[in-house]
Amino acid sequence: MPVSIETQKVTKYFGGLTAVNEVDLIVPENSISSIIGPNGAGKTTLFNCISGFYTPNKGKIFFQGHEIQNSSTEIVAKLGIARTYQNIRLFANMTAIENILVGHHPRLTVGWMDAVIHTKRFRKEEKDSIEEGRRLLKFVGLEGLGDNLARNLPYGAQRRLEIARALANHPALLLLDEPTAGMNPQETDQMTRFIRNLKDELGITILLIEHDMRVVMGISDQITVLDYGMKIAEGNAKAIQSNSKVIEAYLGPGGLALSEKFRHKKTKTL
Amino acid sequence: MTTSGKKSKTTYTRPATSKIIQLVVGVIVSLWLFWRVYQVVIIQQAFTPETWVRLGMSGLIIGGMYALIAIGYTLVYGILFMINFAHGEVMMIGAFGGYFVLEALNAVYIPGSDQALVNAYPVVSIILAFILGMTVAAASGYFLEKLAYRPLRNAPRLVPLISAIGASIFLQNASQLLFGPRRRDYANPEVLSRGSGWVIQIGDSQVMFTYTGMLSIALSAALMIGLYLLVQRTKLGKAMRAVAQDKKTAALMGIDVNDVISKTFIISGALAGAAGVMWGIHNGVINYFTGFLPGIKAFTAAVLGGIGSIPGAMLGGFFLGIIESIGPAALGIDFQLKDVIAFSILVLVLIFRPSGILGEALSEEKL
Amino acid sequence: MAEFIKNRVNRGIVFAIVIIFLELIGFTVTVTIMIGKFADVRRATDPIFLMIFFAILGLWNGTCGKDLPQKTIRNFILGGFISGLVTGILVGITAFILGYLNIQGVDLRQYLVQLSSFTIELFLYNLTPPAGAFAHILIFTISGLLGGLLSYVSEKGHYFKFLKEKTTDFFQTVTNHPLIQQIWGKRYTRYILYTLGIAALILLPQQIGSYWNFILGTVGIYILLGLGLNLIVGLSGQLVLGYVAFFAIGAYTFALLSAPKPYDINMNFWLALGFGILAATLTGVLLGLPILNLRGDYLAIVTLAFGEIIRNLIRSDLLTPYTLGPRGVREIAEPTLFGRSFSSEVDYMYIIILTVFLLIFITDRIQNSRVGRAWLAIKDDQTVAQANGVNTFKYKLLALALGAAFAGLAGGVFAARNQFTGPEDHTLMVSINVLCLVIVGGMGSIPGIILGAFVLKGIPEMLRDFEIYRMLFFGVLLIIMMIVRPEGLWPAKRPVLEKRKSAPGGDMDEKAGKTIEGVQDAG
Repeated sequence: MPVSIETQKVTKYFGGLTAVNEVDLIVPENSISSIIGPNGAGKTTLFNCISGFYTPNKGKIFFQGHEIQNSSTEIVAKLGIARTYQNIRLFANMTAIENILVGHHPRLTVGWMDAVIHTKRFRKEEKDSIEEGRRLLKFVGLEGLGDNLARNLPYGAQRRLEIARALANHPALLLLDEPTAGMNPQETDQMTRFIRNLKDELGITILLIEHDMRVVMGISDQITVLDYGMKIAEGNAKAIQSNSKVIEAYLGPGGLALSEKFRHKKTKTL
Repeated sequence: MTTSGKKSKTTYTRPATSKIIQLVVGVIVSLWLFWRVYQVVIIQQAFTPETWVRLGMSGLIIGGMYALIAIGYTLVYGILFMINFAHGEVMMIGAFGGYFVLEALNAVYIPGSDQALVNAYPVVSIILAFILGMTVAAASGYFLEKLAYRPLRNAPRLVPLISAIGASIFLQNASQLLFGPRRRDYANPEVLSRGSGWVIQIGDSQVMFTYTGMLSIALSAALMIGLYLLVQRTKLGKAMRAVAQDKKTAALMGIDVNDVISKTFIISGALAGAAGVMWGIHNGVINYFTGFLPGIKAFTAAVLGGIGSIPGAMLGGFFLGIIESIGPAALGIDFQLKDVIAFSILVLVLIFRPSGILGEALSEEKL
Repeated sequence: MAEFIKNRVNRGIVFAIVIIFLELIGFTVTVTIMIGKFADVRRATDPIFLMIFFAILGLWNGTCGKDLPQKTIRNFILGGFISGLVTGILVGITAFILGYLNIQGVDLRQYLVQLSSFTIELFLYNLTPPAGAFAHILIFTISGLLGGLLSYVSEKGHYFKFLKEKTTDFFQTVTNHPLIQQIWGKRYTRYILYTLGIAALILLPQQIGSYWNFILGTVGIYILLGLGLNLIVGLSGQLVLGYVAFFAIGAYTFALLSAPKPYDINMNFWLALGFGILAATLTGVLLGLPILNLRGDYLAIVTLAFGEIIRNLIRSDLLTPYTLGPRGVREIAEPTLFGRSFSSEVDYMYIIILTVFLLIFITDRIQNSRVGRAWLAIKDDQTVAQANGVNTFKYKLLALALGAAFAGLAGGVFAARNQFTGPEDHTLMVSINVLCLVIVGGMGSIPGIILGAFVLKGIPEMLRDFEIYRMLFFGVLLIIMMIVRPEGLWPAKRPVLEKRKSAPGGDMDEKAGKTIEGVQDAG
């Protein structure tokens, strides 16, 4: 099975705090993998290592066979990894479609001189780019809102715009950092279906950080659990749900006993 | 704004070639500097020891003034993340405050004698000059914040900067219109006239440690110590540090953020005012333009030391003062180029140590 | 109610401070003379005019509006009265003190240079101090009262609202009139306007005379500088405070290559200009390489330092043999076109106009492309921009290089027009002026920059009567602009891309400087 991302003993510390501690992770291509764990477990830090914001202190990261742990975010983006952020980070003063066009940047080639004299290549790329932008707007359900400033869009729309911007990169791997944060159950369902769609229709590998267990359990092919920077469990939904270490990590010691009480309630699968 | 230096982190990497070029250039420049200084100091023995002492003292004196002003910049930056472009003008206002006090005391004579008050009671006169100078400067700082900065508290960074520039232009021109473009002489008490001081034998000749200079250094040091204690030991200081770290949380903890900010401006204004009066007493002449260049230099000193860091500002101020004084001589370059040297050193330091000497004290960028 | 009274008292105090300040700087005298000039030259200094000036201010002082507890006529009048009274008392006391000192023979001009006897006497309406003070109280109180009444009347009769509505209605009916719409939509209308505009630009410089040509030429140069700095600050978000350095290098390279002294190279105008631009661009790149990754404020300071270094070096004794030091470079080459000298002041205007259009064209084209969007992304959020594949270093350097090139061009043209360039042409104030005009005009907005240049350079040049007060009001204007309209006079508008029907790369209405937003091609 071809591998999208492989991390080998990735470690990252800040001063005395080890945020990510020798994490091994293998994400198969064309899958949806989730990383879960209590707050502060190191999930976003791991994301940041993969996407190039941080360079891990130890360990290696491979993307489709290339070593990327020392690469900058720009190179990682060019290689085909795109991401969204826990707190939405759009380009607030640009319109929605412009945000998407920036996402498309690494797939284009024209420079300033092409722009000034409007070469044929420029005109074609511009046209195609805008078409792509319109397409993506429609795909994420923001058709017609493309000319609004990103900061004026409602929260849910902003989240979807961030994903559209990431998709403009034509990524092979999409990192989603808490995509359903702040959403009500209906929006969450929509988002979950959308994410599954991305994998099914576009063949993108998806790596997800999530807190909403219905989402995680519902669409993940593989779940990795981190706690205090270390991987404590990995497997499919069923395996994780009954893993004692995982339960204790979330509920604390004695959590196992607590969960026994609720074990008979079924979790909804999507 | 903290009193310890922490390394800041850049989240973007420079291309490798650029780093190599930088290293090469850095080595070349350092070698040239060392060679030059070696030439001048050791080989040519161009200047006698007492010249170095004299220049050094001069550097400390002006450095102290720069440091006081630089602290003001750094305090404001630490709290509001804005460059208070008008801070140099606040110093100028303080200088004028002291000027008018001394003028007044110089004009009033003890009844029945021909001794002016300023000479009869020199100590009191000087103290009054400083008090008034610092007070008007502090008040200027307060109103500056209230009128030109507070309305822009939530604006993007460039907006308060332009407002600050506007305030600076306004204050300079107001001073020019009110008091005229002519330079004004400070009426020092006779005991403290410029150029008089202790003469000390060093090496073959004598060096003069001027009274005005010593006063400046002593007062600068005292104010800096006082400020340090204020920021570290008092409740207000703690509040200032809290607001500098995180305004919203400080507000949630019950700190009146606006009040703390006002007080910060008052304190930074007072320090600049003291520097202004010192400048007047030591250098003797002031006019509306007096604050401009020291303001810019003090700002560069604050950045040099690491903007947001109080010890950094102090260090940067003294460092700049000394470089300005000793630099031209040590490098065998015309004294006329002292500004060039000072600014060049600044540029070089920032290139090789982007967050300043002590490092900028800002928190990591959260993603 | 107590709150209301306190507010009105505060207002009175504020007005009093402002008026006393204006008095101390001699502004009131200047205004009095101006008003007198409008009326009757002989009586130019009659205190009546001062009274009129103060009365107008007093009216403003008395206006009330939102701070009223209840909108009764009594409250309006009371509010005006209180403010007026407070102002009157404070101003009166000040006038009294000044008058008294003046009578005693104290020459206040030693300390407050504008306070000649004449000024002080005028301040007292040429009356004795007590009478003058009382007059102040009377004038301010009465005008305050009237001001309050005036706001009541306009509030009650909704005069302001009424006026505003009527004017907007009028504009609406005109612009929406079907005939107008039809004409505007037709293609050829635009072309007619373009031709008219171009004709104006060709004919005007010949008509308006040296003085105006000079001023507008200077405005044009500042537009060039503004466009250049806009690329750096307005589009890619890098705060650069030493922009004048590139201007200087462009000007000096051009001048030194084409002037007889000191090198006697006497290069052709156009070639030297090219070298000037090249030198400036190269400087931009070399400067940028090590410093581009500095955080915002550090970058600002380093560029400021660099600008000062350049100016000081040019001026220094050390380099005077090479740069001609403080005396500057003269007799620079003049432009020639097809062998004929093209150097009259009108020709220079044409050159400036053409370069302005050229740079506007380049800026607009780059702005509406991948490069422009990359810049804006860097400005909004550099880290995320990079994470989206934007090579931030390269693009920031590009902005800096292009901005420097624009400045170099401006420098050359400036030096040629003045037939001189010296270190005092390249001070920090130039950098600051350009920065202000970009931000006050509207960052990233081409029409904004043009407007900014006119407002911040053109208007002060025209207010020669108020020469010594220009900068003072400039400073105040900056502060007020930032508080009232920080986005600029003509903020940039994001282009319409999703719904646009025309071809990508867009049309541009150069005269109005707007990007055409979704205008349906009716033709």
